[in-house]
Amino acid sequence: MFTRRNLVRLILFALFALLALGVLPEAWRRWSVLLPGLSPLLSLGGALAARHAGLLAVLGLPLLLLPLFKGRFFCWRLCPMGFAAEMASRINRRHTGLIRRLPFVGKGLALLIIGSAAVGWPVLVWTDPLCIFNGFFAAWRTPLTWASAATAGGFVLILLASLLAPNIWCHRLCPLGGLQEWLTQLGNRLRAARGTTAAAATPDSTLAHAHAGRRLFLGFALGGVTGAIYRRFGLRAATAQARETPDGDHEQGRGRQRRHGARRPQPAPVRPPGAAGQAFNALCARCGNCMRACPYGLIMPDLGTSGIDGLFTPVLAFRSRNPQQEAFCFQDCTACTQVCPTGALRPLTVAQKQQTAIGLAHVCRKKCIAWEKHEYCVVCQEYCPYHAIIEVEQNGVMCPIVDAEKCRGCGACESQCPAEPIAITISGRAPQPVLAHPSPQLPD
Amino acid sequence: MDAVKRRSFLKTSASAAAVGALQTTPLGAQESAAPAATVIVVHGTDIPKMLAAGIAKLGGWSAFIKSGMKVAIKPNVAWNSKPEQGGNTHPDLVRACVLAAEAQGAAKITLPENTCHPEKSTFQASGVADALKGTQGRLYRPAKEDYQKVEIPKGKIAKSSGVPKDILECDCLINMPVAKHHSGATLTLSMKNWMGSIANEDRRAWHRDGLHQCIADFSTFIRPKLVIIDATRIMLNKGPQGPGDLEHPHELILSTDPVAADAYAATLFKKAPFDIGYIKLAHEMGVGCGDLAKIKVERIEA
Repeated sequence: MFTRRNLVRLILFALFALLALGVLPEAWRRWSVLLPGLSPLLSLGGALAARHAGLLAVLGLPLLLLPLFKGRFFCWRLCPMGFAAEMASRINRRHTGLIRRLPFVGKGLALLIIGSAAVGWPVLVWTDPLCIFNGFFAAWRTPLTWASAATAGGFVLILLASLLAPNIWCHRLCPLGGLQEWLTQLGNRLRAARGTTAAAATPDSTLAHAHAGRRLFLGFALGGVTGAIYRRFGLRAATAQARETPDGDHEQGRGRQRRHGARRPQPAPVRPPGAAGQAFNALCARCGNCMRACPYGLIMPDLGTSGIDGLFTPVLAFRSRNPQQEAFCFQDCTACTQVCPTGALRPLTVAQKQQTAIGLAHVCRKKCIAWEKHEYCVVCQEYCPYHAIIEVEQNGVMCPIVDAEKCRGCGACESQCPAEPIAITISGRAPQPVLAHPSPQLPD
Repeated sequence: MDAVKRRSFLKTSASAAAVGALQTTPLGAQESAAPAATVIVVHGTDIPKMLAAGIAKLGGWSAFIKSGMKVAIKPNVAWNSKPEQGGNTHPDLVRACVLAAEAQGAAKITLPENTCHPEKSTFQASGVADALKGTQGRLYRPAKEDYQKVEIPKGKIAKSSGVPKDILECDCLINMPVAKHHSGATLTLSMKNWMGSIANEDRRAWHRDGLHQCIADFSTFIRPKLVIIDATRIMLNKGPQGPGDLEHPHELILSTDPVAADAYAATLFKKAPFDIGYIKLAHEMGVGCGDLAKIKVERIEA
């Protein structure tokens, strides 16, 4: 058990865990993108789905090429998730044969992910082992809720499954393992075609290749169809939510429309800056990197405000959603945008971030101290970094109105609104518009 | 009994230094006539030199800081804004004051500041973090456990508040705001500056319950020995965060009476002091003198 191979794996496990935990000094933290980014399913699949190849996509290349020559070298020698699963599998020596009858689900899963990514709406990306590994360590950085516990659950589930049916993860379920299995076969085939293998052209192997080809095609096609169906429903949900999101200061009319028992729609969730538009739920792998990267602990796993397919995706929980929170999405910070392995969040510069509207504030006049109680307040205007609160004089005090052309939805207003309940709140915007109005805060 | 003591004390110290007497006057005393106050206005461009000249006029640093004292300074370093933008107290002023306290032999110099923006960026952008390098001054944002809840006996609305312990426990408290526009309170001057000290929940409560009265209430409790208002540049609009339009009066305003200092500073914005709610209320509550006619303004050049 204590071989040199395992020592290397243990060290790698510890290293990746350290990166994932985000306990390293701030300058190092952005390297937390490294581990999930290594998975081609996330980095290259994400680039394919988002139609946007950043520098990050390069991270996935080694694991795309390595299996062509070395088979599943990564799985057996380097993968931290594989190491943990294998160690758990060793505890149960009685049921090692249990998985023999099971097909390699992971191979199908890999095709499904790639096929749907090609359509732009990848499914099941969160089954990636590196992402699951990362998500486990994310849980310790967000306050312990059942949402954060659930992101940690994947890791625990894999260990449990390995206890019950040893090796089930690496040998049967893992999509990254499945992908490498395909690539290993491809490598063998290429070598066979070049005649380096003696048993190149037996009728058996030709038949096997034909089977493989058919399965590949079927897998991709199924993925494509799944992705297309997902896109259809996803787009419909996204447009419905966009219709509910009010544009700017809106109080008068809407209150009346909804007077008779109509259910108040939940404000759209606020996504981190740089979030891909409508396909965000599909692209996000739930690795938890952005949540750990946020220096203010603003980003939390979502619990259903963005639909069932948005479970555990990152949302910004300002003070109305998290009473302990007094921070906002600070104008000079781009930490979360730098660590996304799939491109669900695109890397932004500070200048780009300050032009991007992640949400839109609106004032509920019935709750507002200035509008309703005629007290001196406009704390929202005080805190707004973008001068997006217009003051109008009413009953001798200044009252706030949101300028939709300047509001970036950073939540500064919400973070300190003294009204109880909070009178100014943010609803998210998807896709996030790039505002024409220059930011007064831009560094020169 | 208390009043007699105070009067006899006033008599004995009157010959020594009029200013020193003012600073020890219990300010809530309703029965006495409003105390006349002195405001020193220093005009110039070299901030450390201006500060030195102003303090000399008030009897020198030894009138405020003695060896072994704990000194707390409350600058205004709340926003992620550069020195030239006028959102924060000028770093040169903060540094000069900390160095002076060091030279006087202060045992401990703290600058607790409950910033509005994340403290790291704020302290950096404001230039104050760099200005304090190599000094004993400790600029920090108080955590929850650094606060202590105190009663405000004379408060009409604000009856209690969380205040940083370093401010409560110091021997010499210096209030060092920057003068600027403020959307909610009209102007940020010395009394408004205490909102940058108190706990966030109290800040919010003050807005809810009546901002100007709460500022005046708190001023009946907090007693800075010295008020230094940075008016080297003043933000005329888009305050308190800015960036807004600037004017450059090139002035430091020094006084031992916060109300008088604020009253004079208001005139830089072409406002009558009593048009600012908290100045009027604080004057009426006897915190100090906000009546320009009774304030002696001494102008010096440095």
